[in-house]
Amino acid sequence: MADDAVKLSGADVAPDAWIEGVESAEFKTLIDAKQRSIVPMIVIYMTGYMGLSILAGFGRGLLGIKVLGAVNLGFVLIAGNYVMSWLLAIVYARISADRHDPLVKVVVEKARMSGSAR
Amino acid sequence: MNLITVAMFAAILLVSLGITAWAARRTRTTVDFYAAGKGLTAAQNGFALAGDWCSAAAFLGFTGLTALYGMDGALYAVGPLVAFCTVLLLIAEPLRNTGTYTIGDVIMYRMRQPPALAAAIVGTIVINLAYLIPQMAGAGVLIKLLFGLRYDVSVILVGLGMIVYVAVGGMLATSWVQIVKAVLMLGAGAIILFLALAGVGFDPLVLFASAEAKAGPGFLLPGNLLKNPFDEVSLGLGYMLGLAGLPHVMTRFYTVPDATTARRSVIWVMFLAGAFFACTTIFGLAAVHYLGPQALRVGNPGGNLTLPLLAQYLGGGKDTVGGQLMLGFVSAVAVATILAVVAGLTLATSGAVANDLYVNLIKKGRVAEHQQVLVARITAVLVGIVATLLGILAEGVNVAVLVILAICIAASANFPVLVLSLFWRRFNTGGVVGGMALGLVSSVGLALVGPAYLGANAIWPLVNPTVVALPLGILGAVLGSLLTGRNHEHEKRFGEVTFRIQTGLRSDHP
Repeated sequence: MADDAVKLSGADVAPDAWIEGVESAEFKTLIDAKQRSIVPMIVIYMTGYMGLSILAGFGRGLLGIKVLGAVNLGFVLIAGNYVMSWLLAIVYARISADRHDPLVKVVVEKARMSGSAR
Repeated sequence: MNLITVAMFAAILLVSLGITAWAARRTRTTVDFYAAGKGLTAAQNGFALAGDWCSAAAFLGFTGLTALYGMDGALYAVGPLVAFCTVLLLIAEPLRNTGTYTIGDVIMYRMRQPPALAAAIVGTIVINLAYLIPQMAGAGVLIKLLFGLRYDVSVILVGLGMIVYVAVGGMLATSWVQIVKAVLMLGAGAIILFLALAGVGFDPLVLFASAEAKAGPGFLLPGNLLKNPFDEVSLGLGYMLGLAGLPHVMTRFYTVPDATTARRSVIWVMFLAGAFFACTTIFGLAAVHYLGPQALRVGNPGGNLTLPLLAQYLGGGKDTVGGQLMLGFVSAVAVATILAVVAGLTLATSGAVANDLYVNLIKKGRVAEHQQVLVARITAVLVGIVATLLGILAEGVNVAVLVILAICIAASANFPVLVLSLFWRRFNTGGVVGGMALGLVSSVGLALVGPAYLGANAIWPLVNPTVVALPLGILGAVLGSLLTGRNHEHEKRFGEVTFRIQTGLRSDHP
């Protein structure tokens, strides 16, 4: 808490540390790794959820097809959206902890070394 | 009036006031007041997010909508979970890394020009008021019903409660009130789910079949509530992108120490709130199965009493102790739910007025620390009073529509501006003003000429205008940037913004 309060009142690294930082190979690796995982996930959930919403408006007959007893395709897709969101949460948590966080750590340490503001 | 409800509500109120007194002693600085000292854990912030995001519209509304309109209720319930995918992948970590107390902080950090901050302040205040008024009005109706108090007295009581939580206890009290509420809500949900499923041999398929048999063959189809197909699309778009533009939920990410904890708190809320949303669909179908569709329509036009009625039935019925106990419990949790949400909204609005408007825009940051806290507390009291007065005036207004409007503005005005500020090099102050203006005006304008306010005389067919307002908001943001000319110095600084988004490191002075 106290540590953060100190940080809020000033800079963490030298004023131009970011220039070196954004140009560094490590930072580019981090951005690449993030884009590779985040972009496909965005495509997946947006397609899944907007697909459901569009079908709820324009595919009402299709969503009414019975799948399991009284349960129709619409409710199956709704359940699918719950499962999709939860799986995505788990997968993203895993990927970011295993791959993104170590890369961030490298970039942060390098920036702190390159010139200390404190 | 139900003595058990009164007793339970009094217990919840006492606990909340105890929390506020405890938090007051730990709230000295602005970081304490706006961000609970940035000391919450992922699990704590996850529960608080669940408490903040599940308004009465979620706790009572989704069950009622499913019971009255079938699949459309289930569609209303799943959206708020998917919304957190956007927050998780695009917003939570960058927001934690770049802002301090408010969404305005992020915009100001990126743009460094007063008009951009002013636009962000307007967006936050309009959205929060549109969200706050229906919560106040809903609380008035609910307390009037539960305790037999007058509507205006009920609203004033809720207003007093939230002013005390926020002005005295700041974000720490608000967070813990939300955590307690989330635990109670999930507990109530688990009990109702168990009892509802126990009656059908733990086979949810029976509930689907029975609900369809009792409410008619079209019940499980979409479109019973949202007749216009484009309204279904608007609902989806509004939820998917609107949550990320709601200031009172997004400021919760400032209460944790770092971006990693912010991310983990999103995972928590997705499982906690998501499980509850899924349960509301089961509750709605169970209400039709146990009580029958006719019983649910009497004296319950919006469906908000469906969950209390179901709880009463599952507890043993109207004249049993179990029934009274369940009804009292659910009703008390409903009031606690509203109090937690209005406290979060009041705090976020105070942040926009005290931190963004007064300290950063008017005084250019030259306000002493202890004075900032004082200003924040006074602002919280004023915001609370305004919200209470508006809540009293809103009696009888169709308040459910205001929530939709708030989410529509959040998706159409706030979301594009926030995302482009974080990720688009060419974005500038002109874009912030253009996006905020066009998103705000088109959301409010189209809602006012739509069926929500004009009924059968509506000039515009959709209740929820997000499907048009969102593209307009994006257009305003892009055109505003492109038309105001390039500033190479500003664009060069985007590298620093990107670096801070990813690392959380500040390399400049504020």
